[in-house]
Amino acid sequence: MKGIFFSFFGGAFLTLQGVANSQISRDLSTWQVATITQFTGFIIAGLILIMMCKGDSLELKKVKPLYLSGGTFAAVIIFSNISAYKQIGVTFSVSALLLAQLSLSFIIDSKGWFGVTKQKMQLPQFIGLVLMMAGIILLAV
Amino acid sequence: MLLGLSWAILAGSMVSLQNVFNSKVNEHVNPWSTTTLVLGLGFLASFLSGFAFEGMELFQLHNMKPWYWFSGLVGIGVVICVTQGVKLLGPTFSISIVMAAQLVFALAWDSTGLLGLEKVPLTFKQLASILIIIAGMIIFKIGGKRKTAS
Repeated sequence: MKGIFFSFFGGAFLTLQGVANSQISRDLSTWQVATITQFTGFIIAGLILIMMCKGDSLELKKVKPLYLSGGTFAAVIIFSNISAYKQIGVTFSVSALLLAQLSLSFIIDSKGWFGVTKQKMQLPQFIGLVLMMAGIILLAV
Repeated sequence: MLLGLSWAILAGSMVSLQNVFNSKVNEHVNPWSTTTLVLGLGFLASFLSGFAFEGMELFQLHNMKPWYWFSGLVGIGVVICVTQGVKLLGPTFSISIVMAAQLVFALAWDSTGLLGLEKVPLTFKQLASILIIIAGMIIFKIGGKRKTAS
């Protein structure tokens, strides 16, 4: 039950984040929004890290440098997200974003790219993607 | 509409890539080290892109309102909730709920116009579409055990 509660609010916060960003972007430029929100988040996450006294940053050396760069994608993600929210609204944006996210994860999983465990494509995943696409087309027309 | 859709698809693809990369980092360090690194690099990349595209204008915050500084904290809420959810339920079930909640709240926001958003009246078609998408996600995520290919 607690897990469901956390997951549910995780989703709610994700949507709230997108909405807040697109509202702020009426007063500030999209790049300013991306810079400011991540700056605050970075400082607070850093403080929490220090308070937890779990400095394991040396372990980062074990991670392939390519994978460390994932954070930089956020610049593109936030910029695209704000542009989408403004142009096609929240519901449509979130739906299309989730479809693209699941589709690409699916390709990565089935091809075993980036060293992830290779997983076979099965009927339920195929049906799931088709249903999601149908829902998005229904939203659009 | 196609342009907006393309932005959403680009964002979704990048989120998927970022998730893979971040989980690789998470294998070696605790979630807060990962979060700090990810947000720090995101800040740096946004700052540099902003400076490249806008130059000194990036520093002119004329219409800044105090709460804007705190909106980044929502991201911290996301990390806490999602990592706890995944820990308690496992990734498959937890992420299905996260995604369903994202859609439900998106629809709720559009239809209530909360936080000064343009109000889009809730129609039966929208509700049906969202339910179909959520059904699709659940089938995708929990339908059938996916065997590991040898």
